[in-house]
Amino acid sequence: MTGKLFTESTAPEALAAEPAPRSTGWWGMVGFVTTEAALFAVLLGTFFYLRFQHGEPWPPREIERPQLTVPLIMTAVLLPSSLPVVWAERGIRRGQRWRLRLGLAATIVMGLTFLSLQVMEYQTKLREFTFTTDVFGSLFYAITGFHGLHVAVGLLILSWVLAASLRGSFSSHKHERVSLAAIYWHFVDLVWVAILFTVYLSQHL
Amino acid sequence: MTTIRSTARGRRLGPAFSWFGVVGGAVAWSVHLIAAWAVDELTCGAGRATVAGVPLVAVMWVAVIVPALVTAAALAVSALVWRRESAAARQRADRGYGRTGMLGLVGLGANALFLSIIVAGGAAVLVLPVCQP
Amino acid sequence: MTTTSAQAVPRAVAVARLEEQWREQRSLRSWFATVDHKRIGRRYLVTAGAFFGLAGIDALLLRTQLARAGGDVLSPDQYNQLFTMHGTAMIFLFATPMLFGFGNALVPLMLGARDMAFPRLNAFGYWVFLFAGLIMFSSQFLGVAPNGGWFAYVPLTDLPYSLGRNLDVYTLGLIFLGVSTTAGAINFIVTSIKLRAPGMSLNRAPLFVWAIVATSFMVLFALPALNAANALLFLDRRFGTHFFQPDAGGNTLLWQHLFWIFGHPDVYIIVLPALGIVSAILPAFCRRGVAAYPLVVLATITIAIISFGVWVHHMFATGLPSLSLSFFSAASVLITIPSGIQVFAWVATMLFGRIVVRVPLLFVVGFIVTFVMGGVTGVMFGITAFDMQITDSYFVVAHFHYVLFGGAVFPIIGGLYYWLPVLTGKMASEVLGRWAFGLVFGGFHLTFFPMHLSGLLGMPRRVYTYPTGLGWDPWNLLSTIGSYVLAVGLLLVVLSVVLAVARGPRAAVDPWGGDTLEWAATTPPRPYNFASIPQVFGLHPAWDRRTLSRLETDEVLPGHQALLTSELDARPQRLVSMPEASLRPLLAALALLVVVLGLLWAVYWLAIAGVVATIVVVVGWLWPPQLTRAEAEAA
Ligand code: HEM
Repeated sequence: MTGKLFTESTAPEALAAEPAPRSTGWWGMVGFVTTEAALFAVLLGTFFYLRFQHGEPWPPREIERPQLTVPLIMTAVLLPSSLPVVWAERGIRRGQRWRLRLGLAATIVMGLTFLSLQVMEYQTKLREFTFTTDVFGSLFYAITGFHGLHVAVGLLILSWVLAASLRGSFSSHKHERVSLAAIYWHFVDLVWVAILFTVYLSQHL
Repeated sequence: MTTIRSTARGRRLGPAFSWFGVVGGAVAWSVHLIAAWAVDELTCGAGRATVAGVPLVAVMWVAVIVPALVTAAALAVSALVWRRESAAARQRADRGYGRTGMLGLVGLGANALFLSIIVAGGAAVLVLPVCQP
Repeated sequence: MTTTSAQAVPRAVAVARLEEQWREQRSLRSWFATVDHKRIGRRYLVTAGAFFGLAGIDALLLRTQLARAGGDVLSPDQYNQLFTMHGTAMIFLFATPMLFGFGNALVPLMLGARDMAFPRLNAFGYWVFLFAGLIMFSSQFLGVAPNGGWFAYVPLTDLPYSLGRNLDVYTLGLIFLGVSTTAGAINFIVTSIKLRAPGMSLNRAPLFVWAIVATSFMVLFALPALNAANALLFLDRRFGTHFFQPDAGGNTLLWQHLFWIFGHPDVYIIVLPALGIVSAILPAFCRRGVAAYPLVVLATITIAIISFGVWVHHMFATGLPSLSLSFFSAASVLITIPSGIQVFAWVATMLFGRIVVRVPLLFVVGFIVTFVMGGVTGVMFGITAFDMQITDSYFVVAHFHYVLFGGAVFPIIGGLYYWLPVLTGKMASEVLGRWAFGLVFGGFHLTFFPMHLSGLLGMPRRVYTYPTGLGWDPWNLLSTIGSYVLAVGLLLVVLSVVLAVARGPRAAVDPWGGDTLEWAATTPPRPYNFASIPQVFGLHPAWDRRTLSRLETDEVLPGHQALLTSELDARPQRLVSMPEASLRPLLAALALLVVVLGLLWAVYWLAIAGVVATIVVVVGWLWPPQLTRAEAEAA
C-alpha cells in the first residue's frame, strides 16, 4: 500500500506537479507574517537566553511567579476567535455577506475582550512590579505589550474590513482583503500560545 | 524503464517529496545547530553536565545523529528525483533538464553539503569534552 | 489572453494607446507620486551613491588624521563619530540600498514584467530609506552622530556610559530603515515568484534574480534580530528596562548574539546581490552563459542559508564552551565551498568564452582578484589561534574592506557602467572608464594592503592616533595616499556618469549583447517595459530568436495590466491591473518620520500624532475599490 503510494507520488509527473497558484497579496502577507514570526522568535529566544544565563533565582528579584488564571481566560477567548473569521471567509466565498459581517463582528468582540482582560492583568501586575523592577519585568511587559500591540493592529484591520464589507466592497469573487486580514489574525492568535508558554507556563515548570 | 503512471493522489503528494529533497537538509541542519549550541552552552553555563538526568554527551549525540539521518533521507530523495527526471528528460525532445530536475540537482548538492557540516559537528563531539572553554 | 477587441487594432495603434496610458507628466506631483520601478530604482542608486560620498568623506577625514603619528586633525570624540558613521552608513545606507536600487531597476525588466508586484510599496520603501538616511546623516552635522562603533556593543552604548542622543539616532534610525528594507525584500520575493514572463520556470530565472531573492529571504530572517536588539537597547536607554544590565538580571552578551545573528548574514546580504551582478555582466563579455548554472544557483541558496550558522564565530574570544563553538566552525569552514563554486564558475565562463574587454568586465576582474584575496585572509581567521592574535587590529580592517569594497563596490561600479544604457539611455566613455578603473583598483590596494602589515605589527583599529617609532608610520602614510588616489578614481566614475547623461552618445539598442530580458526591451525601456509580454524558451531569452520575434508580433497587452504566472513553472494565470501613481506612499513615509522624530526627541505626543497619521494614510491607501455594477450584481 505505502509502496504503491510511494511509486505514484515519485512518478516524474507527480514530482513536477505544481500546487494551485496564489495571488501576489497572499505571498506578500505570508512574507510579512514570516518576518514577524522571526521577530517574535527572537524575542522569545531572548527571554530563554536571559533566563538560563541568569540561573536561579528566577525572576531575579522579589517578583512572584505569575498567576495563571487571567492569562488562561485570555487564551480561552483569543484562541477560538480565529474560527468566526474562517466562517466569515467561507461565507463570502459563497457570496453570503451576512456571514462575513457577523463573523468579523464576532472576532472583533473576542479580540476586544482579550485586550480588556490584558488591561486588567496589567493593572494587577503593575501594583506588583513594573518594567524597571528587574529584567523579568522588562521582558514581561516588552513581550506581552508587543503582542498586545499586534492584537490592536489586527483589530484595526478587521474593523477596517468590516467597514468595507458594510459598504459592500466584497463579493464572492473579490474578497482578497478578507483572506489577507484572516492570515494576519491567525498569526497573532497562534503567537499568543508561544507567549503564554514562555512568559507564564514555563515559569511554573 | 517502464514509465510510471501518476495518479491524482500521487500528484498531491509528489511536490512534498520534491520539496523535502530540496530543503530537508537545510531544515535538519538548522535544528541541529540551534539545539546542539543552545543545550551545550546553557547546560554548561549553569554548571551542570546532565539534562533532565541524561548525560550531556548523549544529548549531543542525539542532536547530531537524528538531523544527520533526516539529511541523509533528503539526499536519497533528491537523488531519486534527479534519476527519475533525467530518465524522463531522455524521452523528451529537447533533452534539457526541467525545473524538477534542476531542483533535484540543487537538492543533491545542498543535502551533501549539510550532511558534511553535521558530520563535522559529530567529529567535534567525538574529540572535544562537552564543557571545556 | 487579451480581450478580443484588441486583436482588431493594428499594433502601432495599440502601442500608441499604451504610451498614452503609461505616460507620466513632467510635473512636480508626478515626481513625488511616481511608482515606476525604473525611476524609483534610479533614485535608490543616486541617493545611495550620495550617502556613499558622505561616508567616503568621513573615511578620507579618518585617513587624513592617521596619515602621520600624533595627528591633530580630529578630536577623539570626532574620530569616534566619524568611524562609527562611516561604518554604519557604508553598511546600511550605501551597500544594501544601492543593491536594492539595481534590483528595483532591473528585476522587473529581467523577468519580463511591467513593474514590481507592489509598485506603491516600492515607492514607500524608497521614501523611508531617504528619510532614515537624512536623519542619520544630519545627526553628524549636529555633532550627535552615533559613536559606539558600527556594531554598537553594550555596555559602552547603554546607560550610563553613553549619554546624549547619539545612540538613539542609531537605534531608531536603523529600525526606521529596516521598514524600508523589509518592504523591499517582500516586494522582490513576490515579484520574482509571481511576475516572471510565461515560460520562465525556476530553471530559467536569471542568476541576478536568484541572488536578489536569496538576499531578500535573508533579510526577512536576519533583520528581526537587529530590530529587536535596537528596540531593546532603546528601551534600556530611554525607559529604564534592564535587558543588557547584569546587575538587574540582564546580560551584555545578549547584544553580541542578537547583533551577529543579523550581522554575519548581513555580510552576505551585501555580497550576494553583488555576486549576482557579476553573473549578469559576464555573459555579455564572454559571449556565453555563466558555466554550471545549477551549481551557481545551488551556491547562492546554500550561502544564504549557511551564513546564518556562523554568527558565534564572531565571539571566539568570549569564553563559551569550545564544543558549542565547533558547530559554528564547521559551518564557517564549509561555507567556503559554495563561494568557491561561484568563483570557479566565473573563471570557467571566462576560460571557455570569447572575452571582449570593456569597462564593466574590468571591474568584474578587479572584483574577482580582490574578493579572492579577502577570502584568503578570511580563511586565516578560521584558525582560532591566529584569530585571537589579530582580533581588533588593522588586519581585520584590511580584511573586511577586501570583502566589502572588493565584493560589493567593484561589482556595483561595473554594474553601473553595464546598465547605464538601461538606466539612462546613454553610453559612458570607455576611455574615462578605463582611467577610473585603474585609479580605483590601484588606489584600493594601496589603501588597504598596507593595513594588513600595520595590523600584523600590532596596530589596533579604532584608535584616533598613534605614537611614532612602532614601525607603523610608513604603512599609514601609504594607506592615506592610497585613499586619495581611490577618491580621485571614484570621482572619475561619477564624472563619467554625469558626462554620459549630460552629453554622452545615445546608446544603441542592446549595446553589449546581453543575454537577459532587459536587453530585449528598448534602450532605455518605455514606462510599460514591454508592449507584448515576452515568452521565454530558455536561459538566455535575449539571445533567443523565438523570444525576440514574438516580442515584435505578439498581441500588445493593453492598459495598466500585468500578467501573473504560476510560482514554479511560470504558466500564465491571469491578468491584474497595476496601481497608478499616488502620493500616499510619500505621505505614509512622512507620517512614520514624524513617529521616529517624536521618539527621538522624546516628544511623545508628536509620536502618537504620527501613529494616527500613519493609520489614516494607510487606511485610505488600502481601501478596497468599489465593486463595479456587474460585480455587485453577480454577488
Ligand atoms: C571609500 C573608501 C574607503 C575608505 C578610505 C575606508 C577607510 C576606512 C578606515 C580607515 C576605517 C577604520 C577606522 C578605524 O578603525 O579607526 C574604516 C572602517 C570601516 N569601514 Fe571603511 N573605508 C572605505 C570604504 C568602505 C566601504 C565601501 C565599506 C562597506 C561597504 C566600509 C565599511 C567599513 C566598516 C564597517 C568599518 C568599521 C567601522 C567601525 O569600526 O565601527 N568602508 N574604513
